[in-house]
Order: sequence, then structure tokens, then C-alpha cells
Amino acid sequence: MATALARFSGWGTAGLLVKAIVAAVIADALLLGFILLRRAYRNRYFAERDARVFEFRRNWKALISGQIPYGTWRTNHVARQIVEDMALDAYEAAGPEESLRLLNFLRASGLVAKRIFEARNHRGWRRRQALVLLGRTRASEGIPALGEGLRDKDQETRLAALRGLGRMASPQAGQEILHWVGESGVRVPALPLQSALIQCCAERPGLLLPYIRHGDKAVREIIGRVLGEIATPAMGEDLLEFAGDDLDELRAAVARALSHARSDLELETLGELARDAVWFVRLRAVVSLGKLQAPSAIPFLLRGLTDSNRLVRLRAAEALMNFQTEMTAVFRQAIALQDLYGLHAYLTALENAGLEKQLEAELESARWTDKEEAEKLLNVLHTRKLPVELPGLAQHAPLRTAARP
Amino acid sequence: MIHFLEIANRMLFHYYLACNLAYLVMLIIALKTSAEHQHGLRSSPAGWLKDTPLAPPVTILTPAHNEEKSIRVSVRNLLDLDYPELEVIVINDGSTDGTLRELQEEFQLRPVRVVYVPQVPCARVRKFYRSRVDPRLLVVDKNSAGSKADAVNAGLNAATSPYVCVVDADSVLERDALLRIMLPVLTDPKRVVCVGGIVRVLNGSETAAGRLRRVRLPRKGIEVIQVVEYLRAFLIGREAWARANMMTIISGAFGLFRTDIVRSVGGYRAAAIGEDFDLVVRMHRYLLEKKADYHIQFVPDPVCWTEVPSDLHSLGRQRARWQKGLLDALWRSRDMLFRRRYGRIGCFALPYAWLFELASPVIELGGFVTIGLAIWAGVLSREFFLQFLVFGYAFATVISIGAVLQEELTYKRYNDWQDVVRLLSYCFFEHFPYRQMHMVWRLQGMVQYFRGDLAWNAPKRQGLRTTAAP
Repeated sequence: MATALARFSGWGTAGLLVKAIVAAVIADALLLGFILLRRAYRNRYFAERDARVFEFRRNWKALISGQIPYGTWRTNHVARQIVEDMALDAYEAAGPEESLRLLNFLRASGLVAKRIFEARNHRGWRRRQALVLLGRTRASEGIPALGEGLRDKDQETRLAALRGLGRMASPQAGQEILHWVGESGVRVPALPLQSALIQCCAERPGLLLPYIRHGDKAVREIIGRVLGEIATPAMGEDLLEFAGDDLDELRAAVARALSHARSDLELETLGELARDAVWFVRLRAVVSLGKLQAPSAIPFLLRGLTDSNRLVRLRAAEALMNFQTEMTAVFRQAIALQDLYGLHAYLTALENAGLEKQLEAELESARWTDKEEAEKLLNVLHTRKLPVELPGLAQHAPLRTAARP
Repeated sequence: MIHFLEIANRMLFHYYLACNLAYLVMLIIALKTSAEHQHGLRSSPAGWLKDTPLAPPVTILTPAHNEEKSIRVSVRNLLDLDYPELEVIVINDGSTDGTLRELQEEFQLRPVRVVYVPQVPCARVRKFYRSRVDPRLLVVDKNSAGSKADAVNAGLNAATSPYVCVVDADSVLERDALLRIMLPVLTDPKRVVCVGGIVRVLNGSETAAGRLRRVRLPRKGIEVIQVVEYLRAFLIGREAWARANMMTIISGAFGLFRTDIVRSVGGYRAAAIGEDFDLVVRMHRYLLEKKADYHIQFVPDPVCWTEVPSDLHSLGRQRARWQKGLLDALWRSRDMLFRRRYGRIGCFALPYAWLFELASPVIELGGFVTIGLAIWAGVLSREFFLQFLVFGYAFATVISIGAVLQEELTYKRYNDWQDVVRLLSYCFFEHFPYRQMHMVWRLQGMVQYFRGDLAWNAPKRQGLRTTAAP
């Protein structure tokens, strides 16, 4: 071959071309051959794999109970992978009793130990795959190996370890993540970290509090957001200490977490947060006030209608739609604010909620008691313009804000 | 004269050599990137994102102009996508058929007021509607300005999410398409500003209720050639350019963008013919001028399937339009060429687009002319000419088969043996006479552009419907 090609070297450009043609034709043939051979091989491989899956499925009970010796399939790579996949898939859909049995099987057959070994000793994608699979086993002995994965210098590996710990969904796994975050700061993108923490700390959100108190800015921001998602009503008082925090994100997280507020103090704090200097803190507070669906939140929501930020006004107006029994009174108060932007936000929310007709009917029926005022209110509803004055408005009884649900 | 012909032919030879070598380098990069991507998917499946309450909201923008036949199915499919925080905005771009009526009937629309800030220019919006059955659906009814770009801009003004995903109304998305396209964003939210999805050829595949049931190769040769082209363009070209963070085009059929950045660059340019290329180049310009550290990513997983022209006339019009769009966008960004300020885009990606994409039909034509002249002058070496032809053919075939190999190694969507053999055989057939016709269409596009014919010629499509394999 080399001699044949050497003969072309004396031909100049033409020789170069001939060499190139030969190379291209060989490349074509190799590529074609590779594609076709690979296809044939894969077809055979999948047919065999399918037969094995069927065989394992038939003997599934004997397999996981250990009646079939583990040694018959563990040493074969393909068989081991099939059994592991089948066991993990079944594990994810299993009830508590079946889960325990499958976990025992994964432990007894050495599959968990093997994944722990791989997670510690392999590198690159093999390690990442082992970390994720280890997480799927939810075996607590895998947590230290996953913790080591978190400390890897490669971000992809850290992410895989984080996902593995997230899949564990246990407070111990949460502790491992928090410990690592406290020790080395935020070294992964925020969302996977937050997702993993939400999964792991949902049972015990209190785990997060020390890290919010003592973590650096980035850590506090991220953990605050997680807290906002999983805080329980019982945490109300703990949250209050962060309501005056310097960190905007943390105040916003507190506002979100207080959507379960029960005490007057918590409601007042939420009201304060609805007056925060930062718009997204106010927005979160207004949304939380809306979720409370308590008449005592109405004054704060009415104040939200006059907010300088359009989104806050809109959310406040949407939240006010929850108080359908107070609709006329709320409408009257919204007009009394004398804020055209607020009025438009209210009327838009009314229209979007399909409650315009209901309010109109209520105002029509109110004509019997106070014709002049009812007509003025109806006029505002139809023209979307503020009246110059609304006589008698001040004399009306305030909303039932004192009552608690 | 003879000297000139010799120089011209030599230049032509080196041009083709450089072009094919560039593709070879891209093929190698793409194979490596794909392998890494596949391994990455094993440890980072998209499914985890489905369950997180913190997934950033995404607004899908779907412009619809006279789509009454398929709009119900398309919108239903978009609402069924797997994503936790989804809003779908359908922009009825002045349809003269029953598009709006179909939407009203299917989704029980009611007029609403929404926060609409006309931050990017677009034609007048007539009304907004929200669905009673699924409040995630918002319909923007607007006057038509005759371009998809204008319609998308209206949706962009109404979008409330930090990310927008532009989807053609007649595209078929896989159920996890949004999860997959969002993964790069979630892995690096600060740097990733937009993500392009792969677009695959729908013709020939089996669909039911707007969903892809079975992937098959189209029956017509002209469609199969386009399958090879799409594989080559996406699985080799875009994969490699994205690896080097130099992607200059994100397909208009399926792309994800950070809302604030698209708004900052003024949205799509309504008068642009190739609005997708134009937008991405403007985003590069904006971000490079701001000295931002950013990344434009590409997701090679098969996620979006679209119908391609099935007759020569429609295909010719489409390719002429693409060439006009390319010329238009490159001409407008000519000041970025070879300027250090614009980094790799100005010094590499755009010159490549000028030389190997825009100029290629002109150079090919020049090649035919000089060869003709050389024959006429009797100075053409027949052996050299033949060798040159064989080399060009064999090398181009390597690239095409490489694209099929890439599909085989990674996504393997064509499962039928018959399909693979046909696909491979078309890697050999596409060079004559398709390639020459392609050159003519692209030249026509350039002539139309210089004549000022900038009309957007919509291709003839069958529309979404249930199809069964023969």
C-alpha cells in the first residue's frame, strides 16, 4: 500500500489528489462498514438482552429472595446491569414493604457495595453514573461516597453527587449537602442544589436554619429560597428573625414562607414586608397575603393596589378577588384610594376572574339602600374613571379586618 | 487567459479542499461532543427537572397565521408538554381563516386584559384572550404585518417568564422537549442566554393527534436528501459551532431565549427575511459589546420535528429565501467582521459564513464557468478534472455518511434497516443533480435580494394530521 502511494508522490498535485481520493474512498467504506456492522451487532445484542430480561422477570421472586445464587448473574456485566435496572425501577414504584425487601436484595447481592466502590474509585462519566445510581438505591451507607463526590474538582461529578443525594430524600443526605455547602460555599448552579435540598429537607426544614444564620451571602440566598418553599406553619417564629435581614432574597423568602402565617405577629410582619423597599419582597408578601385568604389581609392588599410596581398592583388585585363576599366593600375602598392605576389593576383582575357581572348585580341591588352611592360605584365600574368625589364614603363601616379566620 | 484559468482552477481546488476540511474538523468535534453529551445524559437525565418547584417559568411563543387545520392539535400538544412552569402564548397573526374561531371553540377563550408592555415593535394588538379550560393559554390577536418576526414580537411583549421558547405552530415537539432544552440553562444559568434545539424531518413518520408515533424515512427522494442535509447541518455543523460558542443561528422552529436579552436587542427584526440568524447575530453583538461572559448552547437530542418541502418548487423557494435571509443578516453585520471587539464571532464565525455559506453558490458557478472556459481553450487536464470530481464526491460523501454515523451512534431514531440503507444510499446520490439545483436556487435568492424582492414566501405544507405508514 505504502509503495503504491509512494508512486503517486512524483505526480505533484495530481498525486496528492489520487491519494486524497484513495483516502476518501477508504473512509467511505470504513464508515459504511462500521454503521452496518454496528447495527447487526446491536440487533443481536438487544435480542439476547431481551431474552435475558424475560428470563429474569420469570424468576424475579426467586432472584430477589436469593434462592437463585447471586453468583450466577453478578459476575456477568450485562446480567448485572439488567438486574440492577429492574430492581431500581421496581424500587421507585414500590410500597414500603416491597421497598425494604428490594433494598435488602440490593445490599445482600453486593450491588450497593459495588456502586459505592465505583463512586469512590472510578473517574469521569463512570463515576457520575455510579453516583446517580447510588442515589437511586437510597441506601444510607452510600451517603459518605456521595459526599466525596460533592468534593470532586469536576462540576459534572459534583452535580451527579448532588442529584444522587437529592434522590435519597433523607435528612441525613440533606445534612451532608448542607455541611458541604457550609464548608466550601456554593460550587454548583443554584437550581440543582435547591432542588436537592428541597427533596432532602422537606421533612425537617429546621435543618436549614443554622446555615441561614451563619452562612455567607450566596449560601443564605440559596437556602433562604429553599426555606421559602418548604417552611411549615410551626416555623413561623423562627422565620420572624429574618424578616429584617439585610439580604433582599432572604426577606423575600421569609415573605413566601409566611404564607402559612397563623399569629397576628406573623400577619403584621407580612404586612411590613408588603411595604418593603424592594419590589420583589413586596410582591412575595402580597402573594402570601393573598394565599392566607383572611379578611384581615384586605387592608394590606388594598395598600398593594397603590404600589409603584405594576406586578405588585396586579397580584394584590388578583388576591382581592378571593374575597367575593366583601366585593362591594372592597370595590368602594379601592375607589377611595383615589389611585387610578390601582383602580385599573382591580378592574382588570375583576374582569379576568369573570366577576364583573357579579359586582354589577350586587351594586344594582344596593340601589335600594343607597341609590346615589350605588350609581356612582356603577359609573366607576362602567367608565373605569375615578369620581371627583364620592360623598358618604368615609362614613361607611370599615371592612371586617379585626376578625381572624 | 490561460494563466488566469489555471489560477482560477487552482483556487477552486483549494476552496473545496478548505471547505471539506472544515467540515471534517467539525465532524470530529461533533462526534466527541455527542459522546460526552450521551454520557452526560446518563448521570443527568432531564426528568429530575419535572418535579422541581423551582424550575424557571418558560413562555412558549407560537405564531399562527391561517393555521385553522392544525391549530387545535398543535396548541393541545404544547399544553401537554412536560414542564412544571409553563405558559403558552399563541399569536394569531391576522389570520383570515378560522384560526381564532378554532381556538375559541377548543379552549373556551374569553377576552382579558394582560400586562402588555410594547417594549419591542410590532403591529397593533387587537385583543387578548385567556382559556377558561387551561389558564396557562393566552391568545394574542393582532393585525398581520406579513412576517413571523412581528408576530413573535407581540408575544414577546406579553410574555411574563424569564425565558421564552419560540415554536412554529406546525412543528411536532417531543413531550420532554422543554425539559431537555432547559437543561443547559439550569446547569449554567448565568452564562447560557439561548439554546437551540435540533430540528428533524417529520415527512414520512407516523403521527397521531399531533404526536410522533413512529419515525420513518420519507418516501420521496427529495425529502430523504433533506433528511441527510438536516443531519449534516445539525448533528455536525451546529454541534461543532456550539462547542466553540460560535453558533450564529438558532432554528426558528424551536429555540429558547432569555427574555430580557431578546427584549434588549429589540426582539426579532420584523423586516428580516432570515429572522432567526439575524436575531442570534444581534444578540452576539449586544453581549460582546457589553463584554458579557455568555454561552449559546445547542441540544442535539431529537426534540422538534418539522415538515420539509416535498416538491422541487417549494424547496427551491425555501432555499432561495434562506439565502436571501443569510445575505441580509450578514450584510447588516458586516461591521463586525475582523473586529477584535467581536472576538471569535467577528474573526471566525462570520467570515466562515461569508466565505463557505454565502459565497459558495457564486464560487461554484465561477467554477463551472472557468472549467467551461478551460475546455473551450483546450487547457483543461481531463485527468486532473476527473480526479478533482472524484475527490470532491468521495470527500463530500464521507461527511454525509459521518452525519448518519453520528445519528447511529447517538440517537438512532431510524430503527428500520430499510430506512438506514436508503439513508446511506442517498449520501451518494445527493451530489448530482441536487447539489447543482441547490446552487441555482441559492443564486436566485441572491438575485432576488439585489432586485429588492424581499417577500416571505411561505412553503406549501400538508399540516399536522394523523398519518400511518404504508
